[in-house]
Amino acid sequence: MKIAKTDIVFIALALVTGTLCLLLKGPPAVLEALSHAGLLLLGILPQLAAGLLIGGLVTRLVSKERVAGMLGAGSGARGLALATLAGALTPGGPFTSFPLVYALWTAGADAGALIAYIAAWSLLGFNRLIVWELPLMGAEFTWIRLVACLPLPMLAGLLARYISRLRAFELAKAPAE
Amino acid sequence: MIAAVVFIWLAVFVLAAFVWRREGRQGLVHAGDTALGTAKTLMLRLPFALLAASFLVQIVPVAVLSDLIGAESGVLGILLASGIGGLLPGGPMTSFPIAIVFMQGGAGLPQLVALIAGWSVFALHRLLAYEAPIMGWRFVALRMASCAALPLLAGLFAEVLVVLAGID
Repeated sequence: MKIAKTDIVFIALALVTGTLCLLLKGPPAVLEALSHAGLLLLGILPQLAAGLLIGGLVTRLVSKERVAGMLGAGSGARGLALATLAGALTPGGPFTSFPLVYALWTAGADAGALIAYIAAWSLLGFNRLIVWELPLMGAEFTWIRLVACLPLPMLAGLLARYISRLRAFELAKAPAE
Repeated sequence: MIAAVVFIWLAVFVLAAFVWRREGRQGLVHAGDTALGTAKTLMLRLPFALLAASFLVQIVPVAVLSDLIGAESGVLGILLASGIGGLLPGGPMTSFPIAIVFMQGGAGLPQLVALIAGWSVFALHRLLAYEAPIMGWRFVALRMASCAALPLLAGLFAEVLVVLAGID
C-alpha cells in the first residue's frame, strides 16, 4: 500500500492530540476516545460506502461537458443557485457529501460551485434541520437561523470564484478519474 | 440515523438502475472501480482522522466559554461565538446538545446563530476527518477564505431579524 503525505499528516495529528489527551485528561479519556473513534468508524461505514458508490455512479450519469456547463466556471449565478439547491437537499453526513463533492470536482465543477454546495449543505441542510435543529432548538431559533443563513452559500460561491483567481488560492486541476 | 442510511442506500439503488439502463453491466463496473479507487486513498487516513477528532472532543473545553457570548455581548460576542462554533467537536448529535447548554447558560440568540453557523462552516473536526483527506489542503484553504465572514454575517442578519420580529 502506498503511504501518501496526507496519510502521514493524519497519523501525526492523531499522535499529537492523543498525547495531549493523555497528559491533560489521563488514560480513561484516551480509552474513551479510542472506543468513540472505533464506534464512529463502524457507524459511518454503511453511509461512507453509499457515498462513494453515489460518487462513482454520478460520474457515469453526468458527462463532463454537462457538469462543466451547469456548474463550471462559466455557469454564472445560475450555477451557484443550482449548487446551493443541491447542497441543501443532500442528506447524510460529511462521509456522504464529500465523496460527491470530489466526484463533481473531477467532473468539471468549478471552485465557486463546489464551495456554494458545501456551504449550502452545511448551513441549510434540510435533513439536519428536520432531524436535529427543529426538535432540539425550537421553531423560533430555527427560522431565524435559516433566514439569516439563506443568502450565504451563493455569497461564498461568488467570493470563491473571485479568490480562486488569485495565485495563492488557485485550485489545483481536478485529479483525473 | 437508520432512516438516513436507508434513504442513502435507496439513492444508490435508484442511481445504479439509471446507470444500468444506460450503460449496462459495464457502466456499473466502471462506477464501482471509481468508488473503490477513492476508498483506497481513504483506507489509511480515515481511521487516524477519526481518532484525532475523538481526541479533540476530549481536549476542547465547552462550559467555560458560555458566559462570554451573552445577549449583551454584541458584535464581539458574535465574532467570538463564530470561533467557538468552529471548534465544537462532532456532528449534529454532539453539537446541538452543546448549543443547548450555551442557550441555557444565557447565550444571546444572534450569538447562538453565529455559533451554529460557525460550527456548520468551519467545523475543524469535519475538516480534519473528511474534507482535507478527500479534497486536499489547497481546497480547504480556498473554502476557508471564501467562507470566513459567513458566521459573522449570519449573526448580524439574525440580530436584525430579532429586532424586526420584536423578540427579547
